[in-house]
Amino acid sequence: MRKIFKQKRIKTGHFLDGGIESVINIFLVLIIIVCSFKAFNWILFVADWTVVTKNLHLYALGSYPREYQWRPLTWLLLLFSTILLTLFKNKSKLVRRFIYCIWIILIPAGIILHSGGIGLAPVQTRYWGGLSLTILLTICSAAFALPIGILLALGRQSDMFLVRNPCKLYVELVRAIPLIAVLFFGQLLIPLFLPVDIELNRVLRAIIAFTLFSAAYVAEDIRSGLQSIPKTQKEAAQALGLSNIHVMQFIVLPQALRIALPALTNQAIGLLQNTSLMAILGLVELLGITRSLLANPEFIGRYLEAYIWIGFVYWFTCTAMALISNRLEKDLSPDKSDRINL
Amino acid sequence: MKSAIEAKRITKTFGHGNMALDNVSLDVTSGEILVIMGPSGSGKSTLIRTFNGLESIDSGKLEILGIPLDSDKNQQQVSLIRRQVGMVFQQFNLFPHLSILENITLAPIQVQGCSAAEAETKAFELLIQMGIEDQARKHPNQLSGGQQQRAAIARALALNPKIMLFDEPTSALDPEKVKEVLDAIKSLANKGMTMVVVTHEIGFAREVSDRVVFMDEGKVIEISSPNTFFIDAKEERSRRFLNQVM
Repeated sequence: MRKIFKQKRIKTGHFLDGGIESVINIFLVLIIIVCSFKAFNWILFVADWTVVTKNLHLYALGSYPREYQWRPLTWLLLLFSTILLTLFKNKSKLVRRFIYCIWIILIPAGIILHSGGIGLAPVQTRYWGGLSLTILLTICSAAFALPIGILLALGRQSDMFLVRNPCKLYVELVRAIPLIAVLFFGQLLIPLFLPVDIELNRVLRAIIAFTLFSAAYVAEDIRSGLQSIPKTQKEAAQALGLSNIHVMQFIVLPQALRIALPALTNQAIGLLQNTSLMAILGLVELLGITRSLLANPEFIGRYLEAYIWIGFVYWFTCTAMALISNRLEKDLSPDKSDRINL
Repeated sequence: MKSAIEAKRITKTFGHGNMALDNVSLDVTSGEILVIMGPSGSGKSTLIRTFNGLESIDSGKLEILGIPLDSDKNQQQVSLIRRQVGMVFQQFNLFPHLSILENITLAPIQVQGCSAAEAETKAFELLIQMGIEDQARKHPNQLSGGQQQRAAIARALALNPKIMLFDEPTSALDPEKVKEVLDAIKSLANKGMTMVVVTHEIGFAREVSDRVVFMDEGKVIEISSPNTFFIDAKEERSRRFLNQVM
């Protein structure tokens, strides 16, 4: 009762009506004022943002050759406009279908625009970097991890011993290994397993490692989605004569994926942030390029500025991902209008 | 008379040892409307679910439209039967992520290989028959229970089944929505569809059915015409049940 009373008072704005609570309130407000004043003072007058402003192209593209920089830049712009289009609310059905195709095309487009080919001059992966590399790593790994994760999740539910148990073993094994170990494995061990004449570049090896790692987690997210679909849905579909594959394809998986979407978004955001581990392994993605910039004598000691800046960039990218996921969730929701009483 | 469903001494035991079906023998002739009644847990749902292979039987002989559906059935036989046997569930079991129209056209397109246009024309015919053609583009949870169940009936009819199975089709409905669903089922009955209906609706059973089957504890206790069953049941157990529900 007392609790309800208190909440109500705060809501209706009785902020200062004597007693210990108003003392605490005043104290907290003072702290907020002092902190924000200090922060703004530092941001506006103390900080030296040249480490950011002079190197924007490096943060975006790394040391990508200047004459080809339009390529990753085009891709980033394409990506950005697709995000905006996705977030746009009142899409016609045509655009809605179209947009999934654009997202799928963006992946090979990103790889080709970075690496060259189809008439574009090749650019080696060691020149790739910055935000474009971070996003490329994330999108490619996520795109490969999703189908593998779906197969693993379905495999874990299979009746066949030789399908179920290897899938289970894989998931349990990968979950038990720290990501950084998987990444080292990707960089150091994958070349050992391949024949001498096949050489995988570092970005590809990183994508393979991230994919293998994320697939295990994706599989568990999807499995939880699969388990939440009532058995009656499957039975209703079977009663209509649909084959087991069709039951999965049209009835169970679409519903399971929608339920798993928030967890999958979580994975994708985690993946984006985990790409920063590649800085340790020598890729100059967003964190990597920041570290090499800070090693430059011109910007010595500008740690705070540089890290606050890339913190902001990571936050911005993750927010975009969260917004897209929200949009997707709404688009896929069957509750397009209010329920009426049964 | 051609026999649509022929069951001879079928048994079914669930994992924990209780017999859901105990030597059930039953014949349904083509065009007949059979109502199955009985207390809950008597095996009526299990019985009706064996008729399209949702439950497998342990022993006995079962033939649906001349196709054997024994304990050693194969997947091909089952899918052949499911194309000709429609089923309506207690909880409707519409697919919530698809519109009503998509719910109905899914099987004709995927199973029978109809074109989308063909399937939609047929779906609208069925929706008009069920009186819910204006709900076609909505999703299941935007419909009332009665409308959902009628949509589920339309979905089952879309494959032009020879037999329709109804598993307590009105038990999950508001009392005032029961009539609209029963009317839809009656209209099918008048068209000569072979139907097996598990229901507690005594009025419906009296009016529509050709025969009533009474089950208890996995056994068929009595098979009578509705007039005999509801007025002067042969078995003591049937009379006790009717006393409870009437």
